[in-house]
Formats: sequence, C-alpha cells, structure tokens
Amino acid sequence: MLLTSVIIVLREVLEAALMISILLAMTRKLQRDHRWISLGLTLGLVGAFLHASVISTVSEWFDDAGQEVTNASMQIAIYLLLLAINASLARGGRSGFWINLATSVVVALSIAREGFEIVIYLSGFAHNPENINRVLTGAALGMGVGFSIGALFYYSLLALSYRYALILSSLLLTLVGAGMCSQATMLLMQVDWLPSQIPLWDSSGWVSENSLTGHRRHRRRHHRSRHRATTQRSPPPATGRLCPWAG
Amino acid sequence: MTRMAPAGTIWLLFIFIFYLPSSSRAATPVFEIEIKNHLFYPSRLEIPAHTKVKLLIYNRDPTPEEFESYELNREKVITGGRKGVVFIGPLTPGEYPFFGEFNPKTALGTIVVIPE
Repeated sequence: MLLTSVIIVLREVLEAALMISILLAMTRKLQRDHRWISLGLTLGLVGAFLHASVISTVSEWFDDAGQEVTNASMQIAIYLLLLAINASLARGGRSGFWINLATSVVVALSIAREGFEIVIYLSGFAHNPENINRVLTGAALGMGVGFSIGALFYYSLLALSYRYALILSSLLLTLVGAGMCSQATMLLMQVDWLPSQIPLWDSSGWVSENSLTGHRRHRRRHHRSRHRATTQRSPPPATGRLCPWAG
Repeated sequence: MTRMAPAGTIWLLFIFIFYLPSSSRAATPVFEIEIKNHLFYPSRLEIPAHTKVKLLIYNRDPTPEEFESYELNREKVITGGRKGVVFIGPLTPGEYPFFGEFNPKTALGTIVVIPE
C-alpha cells in the first residue's frame, strides 16, 4: 500500500516537477518575475481539486469521451504555450506580459492535470482509516522524492552558463511539448476520435515500460514501446516546430 | 507569434479530419469488464485479432480505479460506481496484460487477442 502510493504520487509529481524546474530556471536566468510561476502553482492546485471534483460528470461528456478530450485539450494547450515560450527564447528571451502569462498557465495546467489523479487516488482512502496513514506517508514520500529531483534539476540548470542553460531548457521544453502531443494523440485514439492502427514497430525489448527507466521515459517523453502510425506521425513535427534551433 | 498559428491549425484539422470517418461506430464489437472488490471480472478477455473493439468498464466499487495497460497503451480513471469506455485495437494475436493502477497487486487482467 505504501509503495503503491509512493509510485503513483512520484509518477504524477515527476513530470510537473521537471517542467516547472525548467521554467523556474529559465525565469531566474532571464531575470523574469518568478511570481508568475507562484500564481501558476496556486491556480494549478485549485484546478487539480476542481478537476477531481467534476471528473465523474466530465467523463460522461461527448459519449463518455469527456475525460480524454479534456486532458488532450489541456495537453495541446500546454504544447502551444510551450511553443510561444520557446519562440520568445529564440528571440532573446525578452520579458513581456503574454510570455509571463503563458508560463503561468503552463504551470497551472500541468499541475491541474497531474495533481487531479493524486487527489482522485487519495480520495479513495478518505473513509478507510486503516490505510489512510500509510497512503498519506507514501504520498508524502513520493512528493518529497519528486520535488527533490525537480530541485536537483533546477540547480543543475542554474549551474550552466546563460547560453547553455537556455539552449538546454529550450530542448527539454521541446521534448516535453512533443510528449504532450504524443499523449494527447493516444488519449484521442483511446476514445476513437483518432483512428488506431497495427503498431509500426515494437521497441519493448529496449526499455521495458515496467522498469524504473521505462516509467521515467514513459512519463517524461511518453516513450511507448508500440508506436502506431498516428502516434508516430505526431511528435516529429511538434519537435521541429517547438525547437527554435531545429529550423 | 504568427509563425505558431499553422502548428495549432494543423493539429485541429488533424483531429477533425480523422474524427469524421470514425463516427461510424455501430459495427464495433463491445466487451464488458467489471471491477469488484479491486478485481477485474473477467480477468481474461478474448477479443478478435485485427479488429477495433470497445471496452465498457464498470467500476462497481465505491472507490476510484485507473484502468492501465502499457502493452495496450491505454490509461483511464474510472471513479467509484461509474463506467468508462476505452477503445482498443486493431491488435495482432497475443496477450496484452492490464491492471488497476490504484490496486496493482489485486486488479490484474489480460486481453487475449485470438486469430480470426
């Protein structure tokens, strides 16, 4: 019970923690106002609880495709906002109201998206006093590990020179953005809004998605062993568009 | 900012173009799975190969569950007492395990894709 709780919470926290640490390091390097990220964090937490409280109703929208459509929309929005943030980086990273707002909304959306699952998971134990302590301890451990990895990442980025920190941030945000498109595609296939085909290739022999590396890759870059034609078409243009140095 | 517009537009077009042909769902076979006491019933479900199928997953428990499968590339949260719809396939013959992420020790099952 404890370990399950650690893994579930860590998996959800890790992706948001890594993305926020990149945005935070970028904000610091560019000497932008970090209060926009704090605003995003607050809105994200409120959003996670709101999202969790309405998920039963939302799931029934669009012939039971509501959950996927909502999540995919949030992911596509994150992708488009990361695109705007990367475009501003390519132009020298000048601060501006819209870019600050985009950063804030990206943080809010990613926390609302990842946090809602933690809220749902923990809500299942609300009336289970036998297990609640173990589950909450596990959740705290998971969050602690996730935040620590995020902090480590943040300080590693800060340790780099201005130029390399921004290039690396941009590349990582590109990967995160491509992952968002890839997962949005999967969700839309899951509810038959996009067609699904026989997998084009199977790389499960390389990195098992059950392994820790697989989990991390699955969450960070949405590595999928079995790529279908639709999924395979989506990430490359997303990557090309997002990365200012990729043309 | 204007350079970004095509990316978003292409994405939206991409979604809507593919949404139209998928609206003929009448012929898709439907299979039902139930979650009771953090267990899947049936825990072994046979489906035909090379066919898209619709899984109707009823969560009979009062607690939430997440239907997840790495092999099927699917994940879906189903809150207590509700149902979830997940489309899978077309798949090649073989075994595709799935599990309940919130109760991974007990909620285990396999989709068996049988040759036509």
